[in-house]
Amino acid sequence: MIDKVAFLFAEGLKSFLRNKLTNFLCIITILINFTILGTFFIAGFNTDSLINFFRSKYTFEVFLQEKVDLDQSNAIIKQLESNPVISSIVLIDKDKSADIFLEEFGEDVVDMLGYNPLPMSLKVSLEKSNFDLNKIELLISEIEKYDFVDSIEYRGVYIDNIEDKINLFIFFFLILVIAIVFISIQMISNTVKLSMSNRSDFIEILQYNGASNMFIKIPFFIESILQSIIGSLIAFLLVNYSFIVINSYFNLNIQIDNFLWVWMIGLSLIIGIYASNKAMKRILL
Amino acid sequence: MVEFKNITYNYSSKSGIYNIDLNIQDDEFCFLVGPTGSGKSTLLKLLYFDLFPDKGKVNVLGYSSSKIKNRDIHRARKKIGVIFQDYKLLKQRTVYENIALPLHINGVGRKKISNLVNEALELTELSRYSKKFPNQLSGGEQQRVCIARAIVKNPDIILADEPTGNLDPTAGHRILRILEQINKEGTCVIMATHNYKLIAEKSYRVIELDQGRMVSE
Repeated sequence: MIDKVAFLFAEGLKSFLRNKLTNFLCIITILINFTILGTFFIAGFNTDSLINFFRSKYTFEVFLQEKVDLDQSNAIIKQLESNPVISSIVLIDKDKSADIFLEEFGEDVVDMLGYNPLPMSLKVSLEKSNFDLNKIELLISEIEKYDFVDSIEYRGVYIDNIEDKINLFIFFFLILVIAIVFISIQMISNTVKLSMSNRSDFIEILQYNGASNMFIKIPFFIESILQSIIGSLIAFLLVNYSFIVINSYFNLNIQIDNFLWVWMIGLSLIIGIYASNKAMKRILL
Repeated sequence: MVEFKNITYNYSSKSGIYNIDLNIQDDEFCFLVGPTGSGKSTLLKLLYFDLFPDKGKVNVLGYSSSKIKNRDIHRARKKIGVIFQDYKLLKQRTVYENIALPLHINGVGRKKISNLVNEALELTELSRYSKKFPNQLSGGEQQRVCIARAIVKNPDIILADEPTGNLDPTAGHRILRILEQINKEGTCVIMATHNYKLIAEKSYRVIELDQGRMVSE
């Protein structure tokens, strides 16, 4: 059994070394496809942190009416904090509002007007883990109905737009992944077909001497596995080191998944084995 | 061992083999003779399940053409050694590697392969050519490599399709001598030929075909 396995492995390796041009072209195709795939995978991996970044910035501000005093506003905070969508509420009283005005416009509003017209407000931060824009909009419309509320300022629409664009990107990314997987399958499958037609004499001799289909297939599987591993490994190294260089050159913090190499090599192996099996099924009945 | 039951196989409306009934015993040596296109090769192809009859049934070594599944054909072929007129050798492999191929297929260990291949090389008088490549050999020598490859796995039947077709008379006689020796050791040999001179002096069973029909036995 060991001798048989060794023979088949040696056959696969010999065939791989013999068909240099077709194997080289196949490896180049896998390399290009998986470089694109790996790049988009990293982009996709970072969209999650991008969305989280935007969500962490997502707050809305509730401006209270003039008549609301500090005790009332504390009671309102307590009431709102019980809502699971809200993570924290910060009270911005009239003095703090004047400080913010001074910071932003460089003028003291009390000196300017002789009194402080700025209203008290509540800065509401939202829970990241339970983030649901619909629930937030519902909450805002409920708060708007309270008679102590003057107005509410929120930028949900913009964030919603950004998330829509990110989701569109993910959608195109998925289409691209499917296209790349399809192209890779076709390329590997055609290479195997070419390799098999080049060696039709060998296959015929094996068949006449009692070789099973699996015995004939194994060397071609080994050839495809080698193509897949080499192509995707080079693609991984290229993508990984390119992002490391980009990070250090532009001082960015693009995250690279620790298991990127597993995904890339694993996916290329699955594609390689599936594509070669598909090609052989048509030839070996 | 080999049984043809009312076999018909059509390539087209005008060529094929028709209504063949035949039995061949375990240790028999028999010739299939007839002109080119008479159906000799077709008969052999039906025996190693390269073709399947349109009508009738072929039974070989316990396998039946009507029952055998695609995935089991290789099992039957492991027990059959086939010798081709065009040798069908692997040009990029040495004589030794060509002969060892069926043993690798059967999962024989390396040491045993070496012993069996050397035995086959001796029987076919090819020992000194073991490291040569097929294109460095004459037609007769290549045919002997093909015979060595067929016998190395110790098959129950040897099917030889015009093994002397491309050879001069001396080389042809040598091939026939080797096949006779294999038969003496108990292997059934069925040899297709149109070389009547070669078999004239032999007392083996002769099955004659013409235009796809058995004309004499």
